[in-house]
Amino acid sequence: MPVARLAFEGLSRRFDRLVVLDRVSGEVESGGLFAVRGPNGSGKSTLLRCLAGLLAPDRGRVVAEEDGRALANDERRRRVGLLAPDIAFYDELSVSENLELVARLRGLPPASGRAVAERLGLPAARPWRALSSGMRQRLRWAFAVLHRPRLLLLDEPFQNLDDDGERIARALLDEHLENGGLAVAASPVSLPLPRISGELRLDR
Amino acid sequence: MSSGWTAEAAAVFAKDWRAERRARHAVATLVLFAITTLVIASLALGPIGATPGERSDVASALLWILLLFAAAAGLPRVFVHEEESHTATVLRLAARPSAVFAGKLAWVASLLALLEAVATPLALALFDLPVASPGRLVLALGAGGAGLAAATTLLAAIVAQGRGATTLFAALAFPLLVPLAVLAVAATRAALGGGDAGGVLVQLFLYDSTIMVAGFLLFPVIWAP
Repeated sequence: MPVARLAFEGLSRRFDRLVVLDRVSGEVESGGLFAVRGPNGSGKSTLLRCLAGLLAPDRGRVVAEEDGRALANDERRRRVGLLAPDIAFYDELSVSENLELVARLRGLPPASGRAVAERLGLPAARPWRALSSGMRQRLRWAFAVLHRPRLLLLDEPFQNLDDDGERIARALLDEHLENGGLAVAASPVSLPLPRISGELRLDR
Repeated sequence: MSSGWTAEAAAVFAKDWRAERRARHAVATLVLFAITTLVIASLALGPIGATPGERSDVASALLWILLLFAAAAGLPRVFVHEEESHTATVLRLAARPSAVFAGKLAWVASLLALLEAVATPLALALFDLPVASPGRLVLALGAGGAGLAAATTLLAAIVAQGRGATTLFAALAFPLLVPLAVLAVAATRAALGGGDAGGVLVQLFLYDSTIMVAGFLLFPVIWAP
């Protein structure tokens, strides 16, 4: 039995009259990465938000399992690690304070974000508003992996990262998959990704 | 209620105060509004009423009108800001909805308590009002403030959801806040003038309990993606 499994079947989602997702399906298990490709506006982010439980699909279903146990929608939302370009942190708080807040919300020791922040080369004392776009993406990575999720959902995971940042992010992704986690990664370009076990191409 | 839930709520509360301490948006706006309104009212109205009873009638109403307007003007941003700055996603992914509501409610209640601590002595001084029962005045302010905090937090969550929310806010604010204002004014007037406020305070506590239970039941539905 896989440690984790994520399947989605016949997912459809529209915004008013605009159909963004039309009956898309896919499945990925522990150690595998499901790649979602498609041009801008093809529904990649919408799909990931549906998988994370942040958006309810109009049709279809999402099944997320950990150790053979299906996760309810609310539980899935709190257990996944989501990296998305529209996730922002608190302007007035520093990197370490933002991570401390997330750690407290997730029931982790307040200092548990320190190690991942150091690994990602994040400036601990700098506030969110003063971070470059690359550093913001690194903080999103820290947020996504802080609680060691089994289900990692990555929307444009290497956007704005420099070579060093991308190397660290790829190492984090490799470790996640090696440790039995699964990932869904969405990107508009054909990024070289490890351990691809399934792929979905979306059209506009 | 688990310790994890309490820690989540406390984290939301502490985060809001930490951000407020650095940005000083809400406190500065609310306290300035309170001081300005009271000073203008005292200068414009002059000595209000011939007897202490008449003065306490007018001052109680003025104080709660001020608190209601301050809450309505400054506090609906409590969730709107989270949505506009995209930090709401972080809370949705990491915290239980009821813990978010509790943390926000505690923050709004503490802000209102601070506002009451500034506005009440100032109103008493400007209108030259004696306080017949200081203990009951504290109870009236506490119970009224708690109800106002719960109602405002719930309304703020509705307003933050966007389309049509402003109309909904106006429609909900009237039936939610008018009974509270009537009870809070009566309890404050009795505390200032020395009348019996026991029944009114009980009704105020019942209002508080009802609105808080409604808030905890409704918030997860309002907050759900």
